[in-house]
Amino acid sequence: MSDRAAQIFAETYDRERTALPGTDGWLARRRDAALKSFVEAGLPHRRLEEWKYTDLRQVLEKAAFVPAPAHEGAVVLPDTASASAFAAIDRHLLVFVNGRHRADLSKAVRLPKGVELHALADVLHEQWAKELVERRFDDARQSENIVDLNTALMRDGVALRIRKGIRLDKPLHLLFLAADDGASHTRNLILLEEGAEATIFESHIGEAAAFADIVTDVSLGDNARLSHVKLQDEAAGAVHLATLRTRLAAKSHLSSFTLTLGCGVSRMQNFILFAGEGAEVHANGAYALRAAQHADQFCVIDHATPDCTSHTLFKGVLDGASEGVFQGKVIVRPHAQKTDGRQMTHALLLSRDAAMNAKPELEIYADDVQCAHGSTVGEISRDAIFYLRSRGIPETQARQLLVSAFLDEALALVPHEMARDALKLLIKGWFADEGGRS
Amino acid sequence: MLEIKNLHVTVDGKEILKGIDLHVRAGEVHAIMGPNGSGKSTLSYALAGREGYGVTEGSVRFKGRDLLEMDVDERAAAGIFLAFQYPIEIPGVTTMTFLKTALNAQRKVRGEDELDAVRFLKLVREKAKPINVTDEMLKRALNVGFSGGEKKRAEILQMALLEPSLAVLDETDSGLDIDALKTVAAGVNALRSPERAMLVITHYQRLLDYIVPDMVHVLSGGRIVRSGGKELAHELEKSGYAAYDADAA
Repeated sequence: MSDRAAQIFAETYDRERTALPGTDGWLARRRDAALKSFVEAGLPHRRLEEWKYTDLRQVLEKAAFVPAPAHEGAVVLPDTASASAFAAIDRHLLVFVNGRHRADLSKAVRLPKGVELHALADVLHEQWAKELVERRFDDARQSENIVDLNTALMRDGVALRIRKGIRLDKPLHLLFLAADDGASHTRNLILLEEGAEATIFESHIGEAAAFADIVTDVSLGDNARLSHVKLQDEAAGAVHLATLRTRLAAKSHLSSFTLTLGCGVSRMQNFILFAGEGAEVHANGAYALRAAQHADQFCVIDHATPDCTSHTLFKGVLDGASEGVFQGKVIVRPHAQKTDGRQMTHALLLSRDAAMNAKPELEIYADDVQCAHGSTVGEISRDAIFYLRSRGIPETQARQLLVSAFLDEALALVPHEMARDALKLLIKGWFADEGGRS
Repeated sequence: MLEIKNLHVTVDGKEILKGIDLHVRAGEVHAIMGPNGSGKSTLSYALAGREGYGVTEGSVRFKGRDLLEMDVDERAAAGIFLAFQYPIEIPGVTTMTFLKTALNAQRKVRGEDELDAVRFLKLVREKAKPINVTDEMLKRALNVGFSGGEKKRAEILQMALLEPSLAVLDETDSGLDIDALKTVAAGVNALRSPERAMLVITHYQRLLDYIVPDMVHVLSGGRIVRSGGKELAHELEKSGYAAYDADAA
């Protein structure tokens, strides 16, 4: 047994294994095996290269999360801008409280024919679900290994399968609320068959000291298109660990955007695998951190097939004693000619105590490719502040104007217009809080 | 309007201005001329309140108030405008957004209502047309990728919109060809009024052919070493600054 936090998860598993979904079939053995691998490896720690900046073992040992209870009875959404960010958009809504689906709070009605929306437990006996759960990309094993914890303990989540050529009529909003302290393990399975299309919003909110462990497995068939907008804004005592694995078949298209307003410690892992020619990924994001928040973006893109495009831009601002991490890797396999891969990360430090660690990497084994990566960390230009103030713009407003302009380049890439406006509004609110603090 | 007495300013521990006395009344245009390194830009930055330009001695009163007690943006709202020699590029902020933010910030301080988008657009177009600032320029990020002439025209547009009581033009002629210079000068002249004073800082007499000053001061070695009427500029054009450099050394 490697560490105390891993021990707590193992005990949880022993106690709850028979009550977890899918125990009557293949998954029971899969869960056992996953738990065994997880316990043998223990929680990842800073001596592992990929976890150098985020010592999950230390973080979880300190917090010692036991399972979050099922929250019975009434639930009140927190009265925050993040909680209602997408409320004005006509959408299907699935609400999860403490990692459990709440039908009473959800509204997903009259789905188009060919759109199959289920709870995780209802699809675990199906072959497509098994394939998604058992899949591994193996491009960054130290990071992907933590999925074992989720596989062993996953309880609920959304399973969305869209049949060939069908388009989801309006965005599907997955709202995850941490109402009580404790750990939850969520698994989402998304399969878009050939030519299918969907837009998914995902928000993670709550004021509890919770550990949210979320794995989302996505498979896009030929010519399928997925837009994904994620918003994360959780409590200072919360830990957020999210892994998104997307496999793209030929000419499929993924456009994702993540706005991280953070929590105590967050780590978002994005694994992308091109498995067919001519596919395209836009994986972008922005973050605004303050106080003692720590946010780690980890992104690995595997160009295993020719003629695919991946563009990544992450921009963030860090105030207080916050810490940001960006680790990105673009792999271009020997036969993946005509790859267009770009990965950029830019951070602005608003305080002397804030810190940013950026590590973009390129591994190129093909010769006919267009690849670029770049990383900058800077401060707001004093000359620019002076210039704006010399026109009568007060200092706080001048800083806000410059920082918004900095983030706008990333926010312009949110793949849904109303969601884009909603996220911009959240950034404005973030500044308003900021003003109140200083 | 502006009363500078015995102004000493230190930059990076070095005294650059060593006792400036200058009195500018409403409606007057004063030119400050001098060789490179004489302290011309330091004077303009000290008046605007730039960080790092420490006043060690002396006083500056502006419209009866102690200017040195005011922050940069307070000075601007009180009516001081500095046209930069090298306007700063502001990526991501369109010229239009910037102008609106600046104007409304100043109006707010003065207790006036903020202009909505429609009223603002009408006003800015009216001010932009005579100095040849196009809608396309207004949509671009402020000063980013602007030519030298465009940058200076954008400065004059800001001045026209903000309607300051005292405009300080720091080497507004630098980097301009003769046509651009004429456009900019015409823009400045259109803003001359009995209520407004101007301080035109320049190395060359050329600009003063188009913006004709009431008074000319020669700055050398951190002091005003000579003052006179507009004919002083022509005299300097012929004789150069050599005599004053020698004085300073």
